[in-house]
Amino acid sequence: MNSFFILFRKEWRENVRNFKILWIPLVFILFGISEPLTYYYLPQILNAVGNMPSDMAFQLPEYKPEQIIMSTIGQYQLIGLLIVAFGFAGIIARERKNGTAIMLYVRPISYFGYVFSKAAIMSILIIGSACIGLLVNVYYTYILYGAVDGVAFIGFLGTYSIWLLFAISVVICASAAFSTGVASVISLIVLIVVQLVDSLLGTYWTISPWKLPMYAGQILSGNLDKTPFFWSLSVTLVLVVLLLMGAVYLAKRNVAKAKI
Amino acid sequence: MDWDAIPWMLILPVIIIQLLLVIVAVIDLVRVKHTNGPKWMWAIIIIFINIIGPIIYFIVGRRNE
Repeated sequence: MNSFFILFRKEWRENVRNFKILWIPLVFILFGISEPLTYYYLPQILNAVGNMPSDMAFQLPEYKPEQIIMSTIGQYQLIGLLIVAFGFAGIIARERKNGTAIMLYVRPISYFGYVFSKAAIMSILIIGSACIGLLVNVYYTYILYGAVDGVAFIGFLGTYSIWLLFAISVVICASAAFSTGVASVISLIVLIVVQLVDSLLGTYWTISPWKLPMYAGQILSGNLDKTPFFWSLSVTLVLVVLLLMGAVYLAKRNVAKAKI
Repeated sequence: MDWDAIPWMLILPVIIIQLLLVIVAVIDLVRVKHTNGPKWMWAIIIIFINIIGPIIYFIVGRRNE
């Protein structure tokens, strides 16, 4: 446990120095703000840039607050996951390559502490940023469109955080197993391509981690189908534990690959 | 478009965050030793591409090794 805190401090310092602690929250907040704004001012924006005839009437649908928040989630699902996959694919693999790993591996550290310090810093960065971004998003949606149910929003936030936790553990496990480039490609495939496949063919099954964001949206709009949701949640949590255990095992096994 | 009709209280945070991102990206670009591709190209991308310029730099431009 002691080595966890030491390694966590090291991770924290590293992420302060490479500005991740700054730009990741900023990006999430930026998309949280810009999504409701663009939807709300779409007619004016089209007027200003579109060179439309002035008497033209726009038939835009009336958006509900929940729809705006879900569209923000759509942005996060692409850009947020790109940040997770590309920004953190090297989190273990990079250390094997640049020599940090040797400095660590010669010491009697526990690999649990090693992997979990990385999981902790990623969770704080990614889940924290997404939560701040979504809170800002709800505030803007509240100003422009109206309020959402507070309890439902907390449930929504929790469910989406579990999905992000799944994404984080996928990236850590890939990074423990492969080199940086391969790890980023694999996590992109698992997180974004499988998500597309799941949304295209997913009507045939209801239990999958990739459906969690959709269930989060259902919680928010209040028409949740409880049984598949709880099954998906448990499957995801089991997968998170398995992936992190796998990462511990693979990090231990790949010690020999570390560059001296 | 009417200058006063723009809801500055709502737009201002977007502008501030964009500026912050550009500043952080430029500081990082100056401090970092190597990037993927020439540094002047990233400087142009960060400064002249709105919103996603700094994000592209942080995701693609920084060498993660």
